[in-house]
Amino acid sequence: MTKSTMQLKISNRLHVIRAEHRITQDQLAKEIGVTRATIVAIEGGGYNPSLELAFRLARYFKTDINAIFSVEEENVNEKN
Amino acid sequence: MKKIDSALLKFFIYGLPLIILLAIFSYSYDLQAFPPTSDYLITLYNFAGIMLALWMLLSIYLCARLMFSGSFREKVLTRLTFIKERDEREVMFTGKAAKTSMLTTLAILIFLFCLSCFQVSVYSIPPDKAIDGKTKVIALDLKFKLLESLPSDAAQETVQKEILLAYTGLPISSSAVILGLIMWQIVAYNYSMRRLMK
Repeated sequence: MTKSTMQLKISNRLHVIRAEHRITQDQLAKEIGVTRATIVAIEGGGYNPSLELAFRLARYFKTDINAIFSVEEENVNEKN
Repeated sequence: MKKIDSALLKFFIYGLPLIILLAIFSYSYDLQAFPPTSDYLITLYNFAGIMLALWMLLSIYLCARLMFSGSFREKVLTRLTFIKERDEREVMFTGKAAKTSMLTTLAILIFLFCLSCFQVSVYSIPPDKAIDGKTKVIALDLKFKLLESLPSDAAQETVQKEILLAYTGLPISSSAVILGLIMWQIVAYNYSMRRLMK
């Protein structure tokens, strides 16, 4: 029996915005106060940052948080 | 207090090679059979004894500090276990790795507890004492003692039996079990952390 559930998928445009600002992952990491691995993980979609870090990124790029992060709904079929 | 602790910790760490050398020396050289004769050797022997006593006293003090002082524990044990919390992602992974380490350690402890409680012995008894014509016996037992006691002079069994197989608790010493668990904690944490960081 399969059960359909709604899940929220958070995606981001961080690599695009970073490229627009011509800043490297290392530089951004130092400016924001995280490791480069965290920036790599966020850009790859492997890690969703905390609300605080998301706001810090938005503030650094002088933009709205929604310009970097977006939420999509997706149906996930789970087998019982 | 921090400066004193730091100095004592350095003394402890730098004294460690000396203690290892002393241990190797006392293992390879039998002082009972060949007692030191020259004044120089006697002085050296006494100095080594005082150093060992001081180092043991220091170990107990530092262990107590590790248990009761949060900041000291954080400073020393995070270095020993290679814990890195440079940003929020690493803090989150540290939590996950610590959970994995804690649960696997708990599973091992439960397993070791079972092994220490269970007793199994297989033995054969003389034909005149056979039960339903069977001379081979399997005895299962559960043992739990709060305190380790000296072997008592319990009444010796009168039935002569030939023990074929006997398991009476863990064959490893308690010190080896504790050391193994310490090593396991560090290895399990670092292994989980590496997997999460990939």
